[in-house]
Amino acid sequence: MIALLRTELIKAVRRTRTLVILAALIGLPIVISLAVNARSDRRPDRGEGLFRLASQSGLVVPAAILMMTSAFLLVIIAGTVVGDAVAGDAATGNLRYLLLRPVSRTKLLIAKAAVSTLLVWVATAVVALTGLVAGVVLFGWHGISVPFSVSDTGAGVGFDLTAGQLLARLAFGTAYVAFGFTALVAIGTFFSTLTDGASGAIAATVGVYIVSEILDAITDLGSLRYGLPTHYRTAWVDSITANSFSGDLKAGVIVQVVYALVFFSAAIVWFRRKDIRS
Amino acid sequence: MTTEAIAEVSHLTKAFGTVAAVEDLSFAVRPGEVCGLLGPNGAGKTTTLRMLVGLIAPSSGTATLFGTTVHAGCPELLRVGAMVEQAAFVPHLSGMTNLRLWWEAGGGRLHDADLDGALAIAGLGDAVHRKVRTYSQGMKQRLGFARLLLARPELLILDEPTNGLDPAEIKEIRNLVHRLADHGAAVLLSSHHLAEVEQTCSEVVVMSRGRLVASGTVDELRSSGATVRIEVDDRTAAAGVLRSLPAVGKVEIDGPELVVQLRDGRRSDLVAALVMAGVRVESVTATRDLEDVFLGLVDQSEQLRTSQAGQSGQSSRETR
Repeated sequence: MIALLRTELIKAVRRTRTLVILAALIGLPIVISLAVNARSDRRPDRGEGLFRLASQSGLVVPAAILMMTSAFLLVIIAGTVVGDAVAGDAATGNLRYLLLRPVSRTKLLIAKAAVSTLLVWVATAVVALTGLVAGVVLFGWHGISVPFSVSDTGAGVGFDLTAGQLLARLAFGTAYVAFGFTALVAIGTFFSTLTDGASGAIAATVGVYIVSEILDAITDLGSLRYGLPTHYRTAWVDSITANSFSGDLKAGVIVQVVYALVFFSAAIVWFRRKDIRS
Repeated sequence: MTTEAIAEVSHLTKAFGTVAAVEDLSFAVRPGEVCGLLGPNGAGKTTTLRMLVGLIAPSSGTATLFGTTVHAGCPELLRVGAMVEQAAFVPHLSGMTNLRLWWEAGGGRLHDADLDGALAIAGLGDAVHRKVRTYSQGMKQRLGFARLLLARPELLILDEPTNGLDPAEIKEIRNLVHRLADHGAAVLLSSHHLAEVEQTCSEVVVMSRGRLVASGTVDELRSSGATVRIEVDDRTAAAGVLRSLPAVGKVEIDGPELVVQLRDGRRSDLVAALVMAGVRVESVTATRDLEDVFLGLVDQSEQLRTSQAGQSGQSSRETR
């Protein structure tokens, strides 16, 4: 299993595409930080609240960038990595040669999903770290004072967060955002086993997330939205803007785990039975 | 005593939806044999090879390697070197890294593999350290051979192995196959190049539309059918006479000659029939290469199928 993990990791890391993605992950937070620095119009509503607070401390900048990139850039990157995992190998014909070794298909799929997950986590961490460095350079390393909290439930009393507390909540937010891609990795792995064309698997994976975001915006759907993989995507933001850890965090984790179990099980069942004709 | 088969398929059938790619196919490959799998495009050769290495699951029947039923990822694959269709690699990695990762993915360490021998066969020199995306098709095929030889395989399964190779490389591969067979390995090789099969293989399995058409040694197959070239004064009349004979499969006019595929019977029967019909026979030449036999067998198989389909359709209409 370790050999398979190593093989998959080397294949994924030594791609030109990986370097391009890395450059984007480093470059974009710097651009956003500069934009925040230049911005004068700041409104205290949710999400926007993170950007408003970002000018108070460089420790909030990476949180704002994480919230922004987790809606699209990281989704594209995660979809690309995971959609390509099986289908990309199938497209080059390499999959059939890999399966000519006495390799368990289940283990191979686990290795591919594990490497995809690791890369998504690393991508999320790179965004956070780059944002942190850019934020501290531009806005300094210190705590924040929030005159009134801003959350889904409305405005509350003000509070202070020390630099240490902010750093801990940033780490928590980064972990939550990274874990929030668990469903996407499982869905993408499943799609990747269905097709021998990586672009189709990538498009389908990203498409699911876009559709999920659109559906989540339709409030008339009511509680149905609670089951969408993106519904709790920003639940961690309240830990900074409202100094609270809501029940949405637990619900978000549960939703991710359920999607992961369902789609990864489906991927294993399908891949074990699949005729390799590529 | 019959030597135990290294690879065997028994009543192997594979259907994709309603299309039967392989139907009730049975044959075996024994140590030291070089078995050619022949058939036109769509005959089911690649599907058969894929079932033999666990890439495709049979709909029914069994495929066995070293006496064990094949399944995806079975341990017997360690004893097999296979090249299914074109050699494929991770394009952004070097040839050497591809070999190492492929080998290690199966749980082995590269120094346990026959790396030196494999690289000598590949003959890529320093190019083995270049990214595979810079390789020509021939270089990829040679690297593919290096990969399948890493395990010192007891069975080689080669699907159109000389595609993309130049004549010198093809000869090199042919010699390699013979060397491996001399050392007791078995080889199962599919190819469109009938002359190559004739020169390389000791046994032949002929497939058409997923079914076994014939099998045996190359010499047995050569003697099972023949093509006769007949030079006559009136080709049209002669063709009509010959087509009416049950012993004749196919008759074609080729320049001054008629090319006649014999199902059975003797050449003298053809001559007698032509003379009786008043056709002057100038010369009769028997050609007996594998290509003629192969084409004759496939043609017979097609005719048989058409005939069966016609009878089946008629029977169906009568039932209604």
